[in-house]
Amino acid sequence: MAAAEVREAPVQEEIQEWLADVEPGEVILEVRGITKRFPGVLANDHIDLQLRAGEIHAILGENGAGKTTLMSILFGLLQPDSGEIYIRGRKVQFRSPLDAINMGIGMVHQHRKLVPAHTVIENILLGHPRAGKVLNVRRAEEEVKALAEKYGFNIDLRARVWQLSEGEKQAVEILKVLYRGAKILILDEPTTALTPVEAERLLESVVAMARSGLGVVPFITHKLPVVLAVSDRVTVLRQGRVVARLETKDATERLLAEKMVGREVLFHIEKPNVEPGRIVLQVEGLSTLNDKGVEALKDVSFTIREGEIFGIAGVSGNGQRELAEVLAGLRKPTSGRVIFDGQDITHAPILERWQMGIGYIPAERVDMGSIGDFSLVENVLLNFYFDNAVVQHGIVDFDRVRQLTRELIVEFGVSTPGMDVEAKTLSGGNLQKLILARVMARRPKLLIAALPTQGLDIGATEFVRKKLLEAKQHRAAILLISEDLDEVMMLSDWIAPMYEGRIMGIIPADQARREDIGAMMAGLPVEEKAQ
Amino acid sequence: MSVAGYRIRLRRRTTLPGWEAALISILAVVVGLVLFSLIFVLAGVDPVAAYKNIFSYAYTNKYGLTLTLNRFVFLAFATLAFIVPYRAGLWNIGMTGQLYMGTLAAYAVVYAMGGKTSPKVPLNPYVVIPLMVMAAAAGGGLMGAIPGFLKGKLNVNEIVTTMMLNFVAFWWVAQMIKEGGPFMNPQGRGESFVLPYAAYAPVITSLGVPFTLILALVLAIGLDFVFARTKIGYQIRAFGRNPLAARYAGIDPFRIAVLVFVVGGAMAGLAGYHYFAAVPGVYKIARNYSYFGDLAFYGIICGLISQGSAIAALPVALLFGGLSVGGRFMQGKFHMKFGVDYALLGVLMITLVAFQFFYRYEVTLEKEEESLHVAVHR
Repeated sequence: MAAAEVREAPVQEEIQEWLADVEPGEVILEVRGITKRFPGVLANDHIDLQLRAGEIHAILGENGAGKTTLMSILFGLLQPDSGEIYIRGRKVQFRSPLDAINMGIGMVHQHRKLVPAHTVIENILLGHPRAGKVLNVRRAEEEVKALAEKYGFNIDLRARVWQLSEGEKQAVEILKVLYRGAKILILDEPTTALTPVEAERLLESVVAMARSGLGVVPFITHKLPVVLAVSDRVTVLRQGRVVARLETKDATERLLAEKMVGREVLFHIEKPNVEPGRIVLQVEGLSTLNDKGVEALKDVSFTIREGEIFGIAGVSGNGQRELAEVLAGLRKPTSGRVIFDGQDITHAPILERWQMGIGYIPAERVDMGSIGDFSLVENVLLNFYFDNAVVQHGIVDFDRVRQLTRELIVEFGVSTPGMDVEAKTLSGGNLQKLILARVMARRPKLLIAALPTQGLDIGATEFVRKKLLEAKQHRAAILLISEDLDEVMMLSDWIAPMYEGRIMGIIPADQARREDIGAMMAGLPVEEKAQ
Repeated sequence: MSVAGYRIRLRRRTTLPGWEAALISILAVVVGLVLFSLIFVLAGVDPVAAYKNIFSYAYTNKYGLTLTLNRFVFLAFATLAFIVPYRAGLWNIGMTGQLYMGTLAAYAVVYAMGGKTSPKVPLNPYVVIPLMVMAAAAGGGLMGAIPGFLKGKLNVNEIVTTMMLNFVAFWWVAQMIKEGGPFMNPQGRGESFVLPYAAYAPVITSLGVPFTLILALVLAIGLDFVFARTKIGYQIRAFGRNPLAARYAGIDPFRIAVLVFVVGGAMAGLAGYHYFAAVPGVYKIARNYSYFGDLAFYGIICGLISQGSAIAALPVALLFGGLSVGGRFMQGKFHMKFGVDYALLGVLMITLVAFQFFYRYEVTLEKEEESLHVAVHR
């Protein structure tokens, strides 16, 4: 450890010096002809990119467009098969993230990489070359504080990371890379996990960073308005290639979406008119605890009829997950009743609920919705292993399951080299399509869809929404849980904003006003309209 | 790392064909044997002659082969005892205790039928032998049910419970066979009474191995079939790979935990039956019964090397069974110090486990690119 530092430190200081006088407008990072091939895919195909200091250069692309690969190459996690990277005109090669960091590249991951039990300043100093020697925390604190003030981050450096909100954690990550002397900041899906207010604040800071001469590269899949609001330049990737390179002032949301997806995109979907039928789900005074033993769902009551979509709108963590889990049988209620199809199922086991016609699409696709080490065929079997159509005398008829999987892959457009690949090789959107396909193939009478489009790209989001409406047309009762207010308003017949475990009101979609629902999601009381 | 203009790279594998896994394991054995030849050299023994003796005694000598096969059957059952819970993502470190309990249960059958009094007690072999086999499986299964229940109901760590129960069972055996115990040999000697002739298991005479050999092979094939093709096998595997997803799909974690430990324990119980009640010339719980309790731990290694496949574990069990026999023989023949057989198995275990690295990564050579690395070349 010590020996490595002795060798590294002077080199890094020299590079810092060399990077110190970067002029705004100068090309600080250039990528030429980057190509990276994985078995079966050309992830990056001759990608060229120029980043100027003082500029925000957004990279747009759907899942699987090659963003992650490009990002990993820029950060030294992957080595390109061919192509070059230049920093201030000097050719460089990153053998590891340490090389990239030393060359002034700072990466802020979508999934936070902080130590929750440590304080903010400890996290910022962790891995810092100077922290290996004599640690002058007080001086570091002052320097970080100055840095935070400069870019408008309001953060308590002595707070422990687990106490922070997602937005604050992200600020810590950004401060950490800036404090290491990053001149080029790579942000992976920067606004994804943030609340609207946090996102706005972050964007202000990002602009401040660019104005102070840093080069900023956000990688973005969705939330196109974000891109249009702050970036100076946009590069769009599709299938590993650069398909558009333009200045933001020349771009429109629709144009960017079409470039990303490669075809015209429907921003609005027409809701089919389905006459609501009899009551499928009746929830009465339901309460339950979360994993920490705190009451997370408080006296919730509502009903859903055949052919209706009941949309729960709210920021995650307000009891939506607990609600979905109680209905799916994964969590025990502390009080209240659940009546499905006229039967009291409050205490019914999970398997029985599947067999009765309840389908659950969990928000946790990887952790709960699929088995990464299993093939797609065996993942489809997860919702069919109890079905007599597929199992006779305890023996699984794998020919039937394969046939079913083949049909579902085609019908739902799951992009995969085959059905024997492991599920963990699928992109988020394709995995969600597979889960959706599997659950919908059961033709459930009640479909619980938790955050069904979260993290999906435009094409996949559009597809999932269409399929939910298709289920509605087949007279399924649907409970839609979403953080995306537009989505809830677009799809639902009834909208129920949720805040701190309570449903704040149930509003018919045609009478719903955006401002009212937004206010109710934030816990402000609004005049209720009875269902 | 780079050598002479080539870079050595590790790539994560996405798939591992069976033959490649087999090749890697064989390579691991070869490397292990080469490494161990250092010990022979240091002890002044010609490694080639030593290995020749080990292998020819273990696999071609009539007496040696019988010993090898009997140990192989024992290890095969111990391996199955590990594999069944392993497929459910649970670790059975308790095959030792389970096999002791299986053995005691089998002896309890004979004891209850009055078989302790004399070797010539007229018992009906068609009754007593099947009962012994079933009792051994039930005894091991019950012993397995304890950690299974504790895991399923209260989420108590199964590694700890199975391991601790090994000690319980060890002393229980001692209690039963030593002074004053009900299974005590009439002559004392710290061992159990000898089975009556009627309880001797049928033997495949050409090999000198009891019918349990066939039972072990059938069970291994059957288990692999169950895991690959049946509903319950699928449920166990799904639970093993992602317990949360399994629960989401309605698979009952409690049922799976109890089931795999009962079945695993039953397999271990059969190992106990095989060695202490069926192998010709043993027919008693010998004083050194703990030697076989320890040997059963090789079931863990066999199961890990075969990645949970029962059939693929058989050759590994045959190798370990043979080397433990051949190693002891060679040690005597060359007057080497005690423990050569243990050391040999230990080294092989290490190389086999170390080579599992190549199950996950493959090594490739690539021509070095001629680009500057600014951080170094300034």
